[in-house]
Amino acid sequence: MQKGKGKPFLEVLASAINEDYRFPILEIFVFLYALGTFALASFAGILSTMGTSGEAVAYSLTTSVLGTPLFVFLILVFKNLAYGFGSDIEKGVIQTYLSYPLKRHQILSAKLLSAIGLSLLILLSIQVSALYLLAPDIVANFFGTVMLTYAASLSPVLFVSGIILLATLFIRRGGLSLVFGIVLYFALSIVSSMATFMAFATKSPVPLKVISLLYPNTVLSLFYRMQFFPGMEQVWAPTFLEVALYIGASYAITAFVFAIAYIYFCRRFST
Amino acid sequence: MPLVVAENLVKSYGKVKAVDGLSLTLDEGSVMGLIGPNGAGKTTTIKMILGLLKPDSGRVEVFGEDPWDNPKIRTLIGVVHEKAYFPSHQRTVDYLKRTCRVFGVSESRALEVLKLVDLLEARDRAIKALSAGMLQKFAIAHALINYPRLVIADEMTANLDPQARSSLLDLVLRLNKDEKVTFLLSSHILPELSRVCDSVAIINKGKVLAFGKLVGLYEKYGAGRVRISTDKPADLAGELGKLSYVEQVEFDARGVSAKIAKGKEEEFYGDVSRLAQKVKAKILGVESGSASLEELYRLVVGVNKLEVA
Repeated sequence: MQKGKGKPFLEVLASAINEDYRFPILEIFVFLYALGTFALASFAGILSTMGTSGEAVAYSLTTSVLGTPLFVFLILVFKNLAYGFGSDIEKGVIQTYLSYPLKRHQILSAKLLSAIGLSLLILLSIQVSALYLLAPDIVANFFGTVMLTYAASLSPVLFVSGIILLATLFIRRGGLSLVFGIVLYFALSIVSSMATFMAFATKSPVPLKVISLLYPNTVLSLFYRMQFFPGMEQVWAPTFLEVALYIGASYAITAFVFAIAYIYFCRRFST
Repeated sequence: MPLVVAENLVKSYGKVKAVDGLSLTLDEGSVMGLIGPNGAGKTTTIKMILGLLKPDSGRVEVFGEDPWDNPKIRTLIGVVHEKAYFPSHQRTVDYLKRTCRVFGVSESRALEVLKLVDLLEARDRAIKALSAGMLQKFAIAHALINYPRLVIADEMTANLDPQARSSLLDLVLRLNKDEKVTFLLSSHILPELSRVCDSVAIINKGKVLAFGKLVGLYEKYGAGRVRISTDKPADLAGELGKLSYVEQVEFDARGVSAKIAKGKEEEFYGDVSRLAQKVKAKILGVESGSASLEELYRLVVGVNKLEVA
């Protein structure tokens, strides 16, 4: 008998990646990312920024290129969480992982790294490379703006991912939590638009501030004067500090949702 | 030295108390059977011992540690769950090699354990392509990969054909004898358990009803007992139950077991012949002072027990 030091975390991660991205899932999604980035991007918004600041152009270019791939990303992440992790719970694979010499938080981390981390890595790699190919000067000169735009755009997806994770842990039905997550995400988008309209109609910044906590792209678009409604800057003209605070707060809320999921999985989750 | 200590375990699912003050110990080197009817609390008990469920109250120690979220002890344990669960798209040998890396054992162990359970020919199959019996064998191979000191198996022989069951029981005996592996086996198939177990815990409604070495339990529950093999067990049991010195009567498809008062043996044999003639039953055999595991189980759990006035 030869026993050495095992690598349970890496092996569970590898196993999760194997299941989440088995052929041809990875290939299809990489193709969709590339297609979305290069072929399906809408550059109409960029034209409206001509003559404005370079930062606004960088913001507009980043959101334009991110449009379809963000949708592909959320489908992939939601699928991994709800179907991947959900079916692991439903079918009992988690029970097998729990018999390995791993702390519970390590099992959850391995699953999340595979489900979200790898998807994020693929998305950002393709996105940043594509942006650099399309507009190297903008990426080089306004890298901070590009990253801020990614942070604001990804926040609601990650928030809903956290909610899907919680739903999967509690209801233990992957399909149901997937539907719940997709509905929630689109509800969030609709509520964001409604909040903007309400703010415009009532001239009150409160709806914008509230929705910016979960959908910080709203505050970022106001900062770069990229709102659909004219004169919105008179309703609320956020400073950069406010933008950073709202993006930070949205990630704090997302982190809180994930923390609840971790605490539940580590302390209460039973198979 | 006890490898597993469970004290006053309580676990409820809503209003249903699945385990209710259960206590048991599993000594190193023994093979213990955990038996009980459906819903007795066997699987819940096993899950608490494995740290998959947190007891509402009570204490579990495995290798002297709380099994809940304690990865250290899992390197010493092999687990066969009631239903086998593995990432289904991976090949059997690949997943076992991965498990070798999880536990830090040589990858050659993957083929060794497949050979042990007679599953070598399925090494290149995807896990999802295995039949129910093969999946069970795979689960057993998976449980043995880390050279466990303790194997906890819930319905280990489920889905296996008789030959595979027999080979598996031989393997349990061999591992226990040669490698001093301790086993905790939950099963409904009592003859199998009686073949390999040296101790049992009989549980029902979440409580341990009888617990200890099989020899001692046989003696305790077998004293004063007579087993009569007959073709009309229900009729004969009904008549025997009317005898004043018969304290307890049970029957199954093959015979009747009776517990009789001390000093009444001679009288009992005479009455058995007489009552057998009365109900036109054939006496096929009589055995006194013993109880099989099946009888022990029935005695303790009370299946088909006749009330004796």
